[in-house]
Amino acid sequence: MSDEYILEIEGIRKQFPGVLALDDVSLKIRSGKVHALMGENGAGKSTLMKCLFGMYHPDAGRIIFEGKEHHFQNAKHALDTGISMIHQELSNVPKRTVSQNMWLGREPLTRLGLINHRKMQIDTAALMKDLDLDVSPASLMESLSISKQQSCEIAKAVSYNARVVVMDEPTSSLTEKETEHLFKIINDLRSRGVAIIYISHKMSEIFRIADEVSVMRDGKMVGSYMAAELNENSLISLMVGRVTTQRFPTVESRPGEVRLSVKGLTSSSPKSFKDVSFDLRASEILGIGGLVGAQRTELVESIFGLRGLSAGTISINGKEVKIRSSKDAIANGIAMITEDRRKSGIFPLLSITMNTAMAALGGYQTKMGFLKHKAIRAKAKELNESLRTKTPTMGTQIRNLSGGNQQKVIVSRWLMTMPDILIMDEPTRGIDVGAKYEIYTIMADLAKQGKSIIMVSSEMPELIGMSHRIMVLCNGRHTGTLEKAEATQESIMRLAATFS
Amino acid sequence: MGENKALNFQSLRKDFFGKYTNLLTFVVLVLILSALTQGRSMQVDSVRNLLIAESVRAFAALGVGMIIISWGIDLSIGYVVCLTASVAASFAQTAGYSGALYPGVVFPFWVPIVAGIAVGGLFGLFNGLLIAYGKLPPFIATLGSLSLARGLQLIYTKAAVIGSLKDTFKGISQGNVGLVPNLAIYVAVAVAIVWIVLRHTRFGTNIYAVGGNSQAARVSGVNVEMTLVRVYFFAGLLYGIAGVLQASRLGLANALTANGMELDAIAAVTVGGISQTGGVGTVSGMIIGVLIMGIINYGMTYLNIDSYYQLLMKGAIIIGAVYFDMRKHARKL
Repeated sequence: MSDEYILEIEGIRKQFPGVLALDDVSLKIRSGKVHALMGENGAGKSTLMKCLFGMYHPDAGRIIFEGKEHHFQNAKHALDTGISMIHQELSNVPKRTVSQNMWLGREPLTRLGLINHRKMQIDTAALMKDLDLDVSPASLMESLSISKQQSCEIAKAVSYNARVVVMDEPTSSLTEKETEHLFKIINDLRSRGVAIIYISHKMSEIFRIADEVSVMRDGKMVGSYMAAELNENSLISLMVGRVTTQRFPTVESRPGEVRLSVKGLTSSSPKSFKDVSFDLRASEILGIGGLVGAQRTELVESIFGLRGLSAGTISINGKEVKIRSSKDAIANGIAMITEDRRKSGIFPLLSITMNTAMAALGGYQTKMGFLKHKAIRAKAKELNESLRTKTPTMGTQIRNLSGGNQQKVIVSRWLMTMPDILIMDEPTRGIDVGAKYEIYTIMADLAKQGKSIIMVSSEMPELIGMSHRIMVLCNGRHTGTLEKAEATQESIMRLAATFS
Repeated sequence: MGENKALNFQSLRKDFFGKYTNLLTFVVLVLILSALTQGRSMQVDSVRNLLIAESVRAFAALGVGMIIISWGIDLSIGYVVCLTASVAASFAQTAGYSGALYPGVVFPFWVPIVAGIAVGGLFGLFNGLLIAYGKLPPFIATLGSLSLARGLQLIYTKAAVIGSLKDTFKGISQGNVGLVPNLAIYVAVAVAIVWIVLRHTRFGTNIYAVGGNSQAARVSGVNVEMTLVRVYFFAGLLYGIAGVLQASRLGLANALTANGMELDAIAAVTVGGISQTGGVGTVSGMIIGVLIMGIINYGMTYLNIDSYYQLLMKGAIIIGAVYFDMRKHARKL
């Protein structure tokens, strides 16, 4: 049975105005296997999935599920038939309970036609027990961790008797421990004969969990391989279409004088970080590592004035400064690239030019208070050109760019403020492999020019590959700092899990 | 190659229509009305009447247009304008009029103007503070001020008509410069100022930033709260001007003055492409929206269609405009 194809996607073609998004793409999925779907952003993975779930109608091609051709009209239709998708961003109703979410839209009824709450609870509990999940049916969705909410979605898929489950970047917001738990669930589903299409950028996961790997590039299917045939380098070359020898550029700069000195910094929120001290030097890239919940983002956002402090001092070039708002931070030469580009980075409807200029407008005003549009345009263009932002025009709305190019615009925004210190929170999140390398190169160049960089990252290879030193937080405490020479995944992990 | 060209042409055409839909709508409406009335409706006098009638609304539209760009809304417009008109009128009554609110007192020419604008500004400031620092949803904050303004107006005027206004005060909006009504000139100046603010100042850019993504604006060093307070304050000043002009134009103010103006203004800017999603909109859009609503009102009146049906029309237009706006943005986001 396990060698049968349960789902066959054949010769899918999808044309958008001006772009051929999918060109004769085929994908065959076996029951009881984990099939990784890999490719850079823009390779066509999500378009293919949207065609599968009926959100797009392909121009050509067939979808055969359990031997029968299907044309799904929407995700619900696919779900009813037996194909489910776990989205990267969870789509549940936060204010309702687990069981209400589970049976949403198909609530069991009593004979009187009223909702049978008891049955909902019992069925949910049984399902959770069956999947060995520790989730109470009566808890509110919003009270659960992201990982548990995700488990609920998987349980929901199982409750629909899904034979194929698509998971889109399921570990992007999970801790290592939660990831382990997810893998356990995936293994369990696999042993029940469920086929899993697993979309992720994380190489290490692919080689741990996947049986087969299909790679897409530029709207075409490059090929399908047994995971055992591939290694990290060969997989990356398949994805980017060239041989990559290095994932990180050489960071040539040497740290100089102390530029930023933080002493005894304590958050105004009692659950957050406490008594954190560190120095940042000129031309230095300081990595900040830790697990989810280590309060890394809280720390850097507090330094940038976005969150409150209750104790501690911040000194720049030996002089103590008071930073009460982002405006103060910018005035002190600090820049902040936030972790969530969509939520707190881009202005989706504004042009590249305005997105670039937004933090530096104060320096581009006449004495009368009018904006110097010409100078703004020229500077924004120069910066984006120097970072090689790929965009049709500078007037293009930023939402039309890929993640990597959006990130370059955000970096340009901060370079326009002429900062000495750049804080970059997860600078390559949601960016494809090729663009990642470009962002790394930009970081190395900036350090070489004398800028100081703080990089918060959840990706160990990135921390190790790019940082001069790595400072590790655990549960809001500074548990240690590693020099580049002593930094390994193990040594970082040890500090990241030093709960005191 | 040929396909490419065709595509470019197509997208060009789409761009053109996308950009100028509003203007085209206006032109088409004018043509339809001219055809229906064999051109009689489009004589100089009629056009002047149209401009005069829409002028006061234009001030309200400019104000609420800026507010909607900041991702807010203002439901208090009608009664705030009513209050400012009443306050202005009360300081402009003729000395001999025994029923005046301040009988026997003659105020200098500027007092009613400054008083009206000041009251508008205060209400705007109040709304802005509630929304920015009190964190009230704009909908609720301005619903509250709507009732406050209405109450204050009735208390202040004792529910009476404030009439018998001085000719000098009426002259503010009833005069002409050549063929052009004064009111049209005021609107032109206001449009120019709002255009400069939105397009050429940091404050204007910050309004788009706050409306487009307030969190990103905060990270970029924009003082989000202060920007919101300033938007509502600025809009309040415009409502104040609207009130002064309305009182001057009608020669009186009462509890019915400017009734439903929030509906007119919100409808106009919505039709003009100021998106409810925030962060989108232009001054030209606001003004074309006012003109479109104006030509519809005017046309229906000219064609002797009952004013009750005009209300139905307005409601349908708001709903329709927002429906298409939401579809457009839902697809792109």
